[in-house]
Amino acid sequence: MLKIIIPTIMLIPLTWMSKPNMIWINTTTYGLLISLISLFYLNQPNDNTLNSSLMFFSDSLSAPLLALTTWLLPLMLMASQHHLSKEPLTRKKLYISMLILLQLFLIMTFTASELIFFYILFEATLIPTLIIITRWGNQTERLNAGLYFLFYTLMGSLPLLVALLYIHNFMGSLNFLMIQYWIQPLPNSWSNIFLWLACMMAFMVKMPLYGLHLWLPKAHVEAPIAGSMVLAAVLLKLGGYGMMRITTLLNPLTNFMAYPFMMLSLWGMIMTSSICLRQTDLKSLIAYSSVSHMALVIVAVLIQTPCSYMGATALMIAHGLTSSMLFCLANSNYERIHSRTMILARGLQTLLPLMAAWWLLASLTNLALPPTINLIGELFVVMSSFSWSNITIILMGINITITALYSLYMLITTQRGKYSHHIKNIKPSFTRENALMTLHLLPLLLLSLNPKIILGPIY
Amino acid sequence: MNMFSSCMITALVILTLPIIMSSTKLYKNKLYPYYVKTATSYAFMISMIPTMMFIYSGQEMIISNWHWMTIQTMKLSMSFKLDYFSMIFVPVALFVTWSIMEFSMWYMHSDPYINRFFKYLLLFLITMMVLVTANNMFQLFIGWEGVGIMSFLLIGWWYGRTDANTAALQAVLYNRIGDVGFIMAMAWFQLNLNTWDLQQIFITTNDNFNLPLLGLLLAATGKSAQFGLHPWLPSAMEGPTPVSALLHSSTMVVAGVFLLIRFHPLMEHNQTIQTLTLCLGAITTLLTAICALTQNDIKKIVAFSTSSQLGLMMVTIGINQPYLAFLHICTHAFFKAMLFMCSGSIIHSLNDEQDIRKMGGLFKVLPFTTTSLIIGSLALTGMPFLTGFYSKDLIIESANTSNTNAWALLITLVATSLTAAYSTRIMFFALLGQPRFSPMILINENNPLLINSIKRLLIGSVFAGYIISHSITPTTIPQMTMPHYLKMTALAVTILGFILALELNLTTQGLKFNYPSNYFKFSSLLGYYPTIMHRLTPKTSLTISQKSASMLLDSIWLENILPKSISYFQMKSSTLISNQKGLIKLYFLSFMLTMILSLLILNYHG
Repeated sequence: MLKIIIPTIMLIPLTWMSKPNMIWINTTTYGLLISLISLFYLNQPNDNTLNSSLMFFSDSLSAPLLALTTWLLPLMLMASQHHLSKEPLTRKKLYISMLILLQLFLIMTFTASELIFFYILFEATLIPTLIIITRWGNQTERLNAGLYFLFYTLMGSLPLLVALLYIHNFMGSLNFLMIQYWIQPLPNSWSNIFLWLACMMAFMVKMPLYGLHLWLPKAHVEAPIAGSMVLAAVLLKLGGYGMMRITTLLNPLTNFMAYPFMMLSLWGMIMTSSICLRQTDLKSLIAYSSVSHMALVIVAVLIQTPCSYMGATALMIAHGLTSSMLFCLANSNYERIHSRTMILARGLQTLLPLMAAWWLLASLTNLALPPTINLIGELFVVMSSFSWSNITIILMGINITITALYSLYMLITTQRGKYSHHIKNIKPSFTRENALMTLHLLPLLLLSLNPKIILGPIY
Repeated sequence: MNMFSSCMITALVILTLPIIMSSTKLYKNKLYPYYVKTATSYAFMISMIPTMMFIYSGQEMIISNWHWMTIQTMKLSMSFKLDYFSMIFVPVALFVTWSIMEFSMWYMHSDPYINRFFKYLLLFLITMMVLVTANNMFQLFIGWEGVGIMSFLLIGWWYGRTDANTAALQAVLYNRIGDVGFIMAMAWFQLNLNTWDLQQIFITTNDNFNLPLLGLLLAATGKSAQFGLHPWLPSAMEGPTPVSALLHSSTMVVAGVFLLIRFHPLMEHNQTIQTLTLCLGAITTLLTAICALTQNDIKKIVAFSTSSQLGLMMVTIGINQPYLAFLHICTHAFFKAMLFMCSGSIIHSLNDEQDIRKMGGLFKVLPFTTTSLIIGSLALTGMPFLTGFYSKDLIIESANTSNTNAWALLITLVATSLTAAYSTRIMFFALLGQPRFSPMILINENNPLLINSIKRLLIGSVFAGYIISHSITPTTIPQMTMPHYLKMTALAVTILGFILALELNLTTQGLKFNYPSNYFKFSSLLGYYPTIMHRLTPKTSLTISQKSASMLLDSIWLENILPKSISYFQMKSSTLISNQKGLIKLYFLSFMLTMILSLLILNYHG
């Protein structure tokens, strides 16, 4: 694993020592090269060769998320160039260093084999994210957003620390690879119920679960583009990843503890997607659509069948790429119109036809058009929830319909119709932006050809 | 090597060539539409070879290749089913599309993005082929969603118009409701039969297929615009006329019926679903026929008649005659596509005038279009020995002689009679009598692109029914013997419709238009269905999402319960507990005292 971690660390000196006009190019290129190394982990030989050390390992659940993380860094760098073009050089370098630091923490989080180590890194990712949001956000509300972000996730995860210490005390180890063989079924008692809650709430808040999701739209809306991208694409997936890892420890309890959270997720998925129908703010719409998609992942993880785990993993990767792409598109509008309000950026198809094609493809993947991996994820989740209870198909069906509706509503509002006169003199789309969208779409299309590499450990 | 599969694959590959070429310079060429049209015609001719072989030897085939993935014990691979239905439907669809593409070269010639339009048409055709030839449900679903999205793009072709965008969104929304049923059926099959392959589904038995069949019926209702999910089809007429001719008459909208035909081995012993299908089809066919009676937009009338014919196909499936329904799909494709093309010709000639009240006397200026329109309408009503007769007459006869729901049968007959009535209305207002259009318009239909494309479908509308029904033996045998009056019912109600409509049109033409009666309002307002459903449902759901989901829950409750209340209590308690009151002297005094005390204590401690 060091062959990814050390190059990532070395990106920081690269940033600070590059010539002023090379900082973006150098970091993006090397970031891409690092992401190519991470692709090797997608090949899972099934013979413990990926347990690199006592600290790090990778399996077929973490490898796709790892590849997603490393893939996203160059994309974030590409996306932020315009946003930072007016900043002084030191701040640009600082910003890039923050992104690199975040990637470093994320890589280590996804590959940590020790739960306490995982926990520390899980918390450590908050710091660069917080700095990115509160330092480079566009409005004053960013401070409030940062507060919400920090306190929600911190409050949720503190009990996890206590729970982990307790588990370490009676198990003797917190190594993922070992405790899955040592674990005994938890007896049904009040203290164990609290143990379950302590372990799960940290990740539920991160996902986020409906009801604890308020930090997410705020953080997404106020964050600069790279912050929104990484939040939607990777940070939310930490929650799903953690839940899948930790449910092995909590086994018989999940069967009945899951009910309230399933209900909340199923209900919240419809609520949040119907909120999307009334959003006027483009970024907020995409953020709420993330909440609704992540609710599907929560449902899938809590059902705990092989099929649902496959669906959850596939949906996480698919949503990571799709929502990140939608944020990039929203940002390219924002850079031209200087407003996130959808109604100010109507009829862009006439002016930016290629960008309209990207919008169309992004909306279609967001509404899970077959045969994209979004559909595979959603289909598996729907199938597993259908087998859990037939009635959930009604809720899932409503959600599928509303998802299609708001995705196309977003597409039609921004691209179709007559353009308004104040956008006549906007800049044409840059090659950088088109390349950015292509780099988002390419993995989506390629993964549709061979989805089994993102179907997780059960596959 | 068998020619059967290789020819079929060749035909499909030929269709994809212009799509691949669209990334080259060819796409910038003015001849791109021509290439697309030629590719389609080649694909049609090549696909005729396996169809002939099928007709000759009855050979069916499954092609399985490219293993996509295996989910636990379920294998998913790309696989094509070349059986009765796909072998007949593929050439029909290709033939119709070929003509429509030629027609579009004339109709869309001034459009700056005509190349993109042809690419969309071709993409649609490919997804339709995927749908028709799919051998597993996932592949079927790819085609199913693909045609839905292509219809979204094509209806919204003139994206500057709000109406076109609304209609496109409406089409996707209604289709999406149907898709939920499809997804449910997929989930059910995966759970209970552990397969999505059609053959495996059909050989596996289960006590109760009600749930998946209900899902499929919902899917078919959405795609084929059956009652409840029907309003999108007339709205879809906002798209260009070639799109209406291709998607909303002959190919995409029959996909729902096609799906039920595909799954008829599950349906044929399930009385509940059959009755449901029968009643749904009967209601649709009557309601949409009634709506067609009072429309004035020529495309809307044809659209409603499509809806009504789709209802008739559903009725046929309901009386357990899937092969007849399929025959009707094929014959219907010819004359309905032609009717749309004729109305396109009229609309284009009259400077985009769609109102039949402003036409009239067109038989003098547009003789060829008039001929085709009349033949198409007659074929639609089931005039003996035209194409429609071979399927429609059989359907009515089978319904008459089967042991079916008399109520459903009755309203189907009424709808059949109304078909003749609204067809008469189009012919009477658009073609006959005195011209009511502006005399300044230069009308010319002598364009080979227009004439040839319509002519091809005209020949199809006259002979296709005879050819198809005589070359291919129906597998389920319809009733052969029946009393005289039953045999004549279909013809009698149609003639009745004709005569009544003609008389009514003649007598009421010169009359003053009084305040409309309630029946008229019911029909012209489409049975009040859009008025209710398109206002009430969006309004309530959008209000709920704004007021309760967004405002009440998100902005008030969730915000106040956790973050706001915590910060409020923290602030209150901190101001309550804190003794920080700004008394500087006191603080300094206490500071000095503590310092002195600590000095004293620490110094004298030891």
